[in-house]
Amino acid sequence: MSEYQLHSLILAADYRVEDPEIMWSQLKSRNSHLADIAAHHVVLYTSVWEPGRVLITIGVRQPNSVREVLRSPVIFELFDVSGVDDIPAVFAGEVVEKIDLDEPGPDDAIAAVIVGVVTTVEDVSTLMVKVHDAGDRFRSAGVRKVWVYRAFDDGHEVLILQEIETEAQARAWIDHPDAAAEWMAAAGMGAYPSVFVGKFAHLMTVAEGDG
Amino acid sequence: MFVCLCTGVTSQVVTELVASGASTSKEVAEKCGAGLDCGRCRRTVRAIIAAAQQGDCPVHKAG
Repeated sequence: MSEYQLHSLILAADYRVEDPEIMWSQLKSRNSHLADIAAHHVVLYTSVWEPGRVLITIGVRQPNSVREVLRSPVIFELFDVSGVDDIPAVFAGEVVEKIDLDEPGPDDAIAAVIVGVVTTVEDVSTLMVKVHDAGDRFRSAGVRKVWVYRAFDDGHEVLILQEIETEAQARAWIDHPDAAAEWMAAAGMGAYPSVFVGKFAHLMTVAEGDG
Repeated sequence: MFVCLCTGVTSQVVTELVASGASTSKEVAEKCGAGLDCGRCRRTVRAIIAAAQQGDCPVHKAG
């Protein structure tokens, strides 16, 4: 299997912990360790419907190898401090596009709901065209943002984070998504976790390491 | 997604092995190495096998 040439990397993992706040404080105390893999930001989302379920994303600067990052002791430590014995599948990819459907406004201060999905799509470029074309419909459904990431190991695999105004709109979006949001139809199948519905909980900036 | 962090084996690889007949995490490990090192991915491998047996794997559907 070939190695991947990287410019920037996002890692994402969806798993369950005893207490997300304790996990976060443990993780924060290891900020300098994350610099060892050239991580720059860590974001934690906590589920609104499933206590203990978290989605964590880690941005990594220009790694030489995805596999080197993934097998780093720092990544294993992330799961260890989370109290996780069984390591979940980890998404590793790069941003395709971050689409902001709404102009920033005062309502942005109100925490929106994040709906996260990892799945496969037929063609990512076609998907992006469909999403842009359906922008007005997405907005009407309460979707503020659609962030699309493509996996390095599978050109059809995507991580899609959708920011939706309210929990009720998120539920409606999950039950009856727009036809252009084809990723919702296959969400939670096969190797992939079920749809994550949560809220932003924490952001950590990782100080740049010595080298 | 990367299933085995030790070996870099992906869900696509595991899914293809399951499609070609592997039906236990041990068989998957023998064929690609996933789960042979620390073993902490075996539960995920088993979940992929179970999902494939239910016939709802998107990788299979795409094929």
